[in-house]
Amino acid sequence: MMQLWPQLLLSLAEKVLADIIAMDQEAKPRLKRLAGKQFAFQLQELKLRVVLTATDSTILLNQHQEPVDCAIQTDLASLKRLRDPNQLTQLIKQDAVQVEGDLQVAQQFSGFFQQLQPDWSGKLASYLGDGMAHKVEVSLKQMTRVIASKAQQLDQLSTELLQDELQLTPHPLEVEQFSVDVSRLQAKVDRLQQQLTALQE
Amino acid sequence: MSDSKAKTTDFGFKTVAEDEKVSLVADVFHSVAAKYDVMNDLMSFGIHRLWKRFTIDCSAVRPGQSVLDLAGGTGDLTALFSKRVGPTGKVVLADINASMLNVGRDKLRDQGLVDNIDYVQANAEALPFADNSFDIITIGFGLRNVTNKSAALASMFRVLKPGGRLLVLEFSKPESELLSKAYDLYSFKLLPKMGQLIANDPDSYQYLAESIRMHPDQETLKQMMEQVGFAEVSYHNLTGGIVALHRGYKF
Ligand SMILES: C[S@@+](CC[C@H](N)C(=O)[O-])C[C@H]1O[C@@H](n2cnc3c(N)ncnc32)[C@H](O)[C@@H]1O
Repeated sequence: MMQLWPQLLLSLAEKVLADIIAMDQEAKPRLKRLAGKQFAFQLQELKLRVVLTATDSTILLNQHQEPVDCAIQTDLASLKRLRDPNQLTQLIKQDAVQVEGDLQVAQQFSGFFQQLQPDWSGKLASYLGDGMAHKVEVSLKQMTRVIASKAQQLDQLSTELLQDELQLTPHPLEVEQFSVDVSRLQAKVDRLQQQLTALQE
Repeated sequence: MSDSKAKTTDFGFKTVAEDEKVSLVADVFHSVAAKYDVMNDLMSFGIHRLWKRFTIDCSAVRPGQSVLDLAGGTGDLTALFSKRVGPTGKVVLADINASMLNVGRDKLRDQGLVDNIDYVQANAEALPFADNSFDIITIGFGLRNVTNKSAALASMFRVLKPGGRLLVLEFSKPESELLSKAYDLYSFKLLPKMGQLIANDPDSYQYLAESIRMHPDQETLKQMMEQVGFAEVSYHNLTGGIVALHRGYKF
């Protein structure tokens, strides 16, 4: 049974995503440009590789390892740095992010999600009426703020936890140190090799 | 021209003449068509939706491709494919049974899916399509109802494009003895009762349970696919082997 959890998860996520996209009037025209493109995203910590297919009204979710227009693989720690687009090239150079295919497609998808602005209060108003919807919105905003600050704490905690406790993801400095160590070793081996050939001759 | 020993085949646990099976199967699906979707959800506790999504995942479908959903019935797989291949692609929903096709067409139309779907009444054993027509063919819970399975597989192989793939989603053999027992109990005791209560049609659901037991197991089906030319045939057991998804390529 467990092996079907990605299908369960993605079918639910697909519905939620469709609802959110439908709540943004501006989303559809922007989707037109994306329609027919496929983008895959994988987090190293999860086995799941999510394939997003843009249609002219929504984004569909699947799961497989096969070729798409653009595929990106990264880990949790780098994902956070990815929010800053300027970091991208650096992350690619450090091999913290692997890109396969047309990077522009990834940027288009990411741009679409960043600009997504679902009209929650409009949706609420259609259920509750305007006055009530406004009240709910205000308290929701408060709640979001609280959640956001908690989430940030949690974020920090999880990064530290991953790095220090679980030692799953090496700190960039550690990676750097490792590379330095490797090239030193390389140099030593080279020298040794030369001495060895000299001896043999 | 009558042979004293007419060719026979299985219809559930019964043995019937080969040419009789087609119409018997037709009766079953004419009779269940209207209640088919409700029964599917009930009988499988909704899990058939996940088996179908797993099938779509394994197809790695891309926008613009052409897909044949064979024995497609009420069109669950067709709906998933139609959205994914988009306006530049095409899905053909083919089924031998007009009642199932009609239920399917109405349902898909209600979901707003019209532009890229064709409906074709056809027998899987003799597909009315040109050679090398499709990138992907699926047959979901259909193969077990087909009289001559090898002929059907060969026909699918013919209409598949080189590089294309076939996905066979079908009931299969549970991996564990215990699950197998529980499953037997469920399908022979409970299923026909549910069929009686909800669809007022215990016989059709008795046939369902029996036809599942008569269907070739994982390895046998794999060999049958290889025999008609499919390459790199593999299968996934789902839900403990109650269902298996076979995949094969045409190169
Ligand atoms: C159990 S339904 C499956 C429907 C759908 N694929 C699904 O998974 O929900 C089996 C379908 O196979 C169709 N069928 C049976 N024999 C067939 C044949 N020889 N050629 C094409 N379709 C056939 C039936 O009419 C029926 O609609």
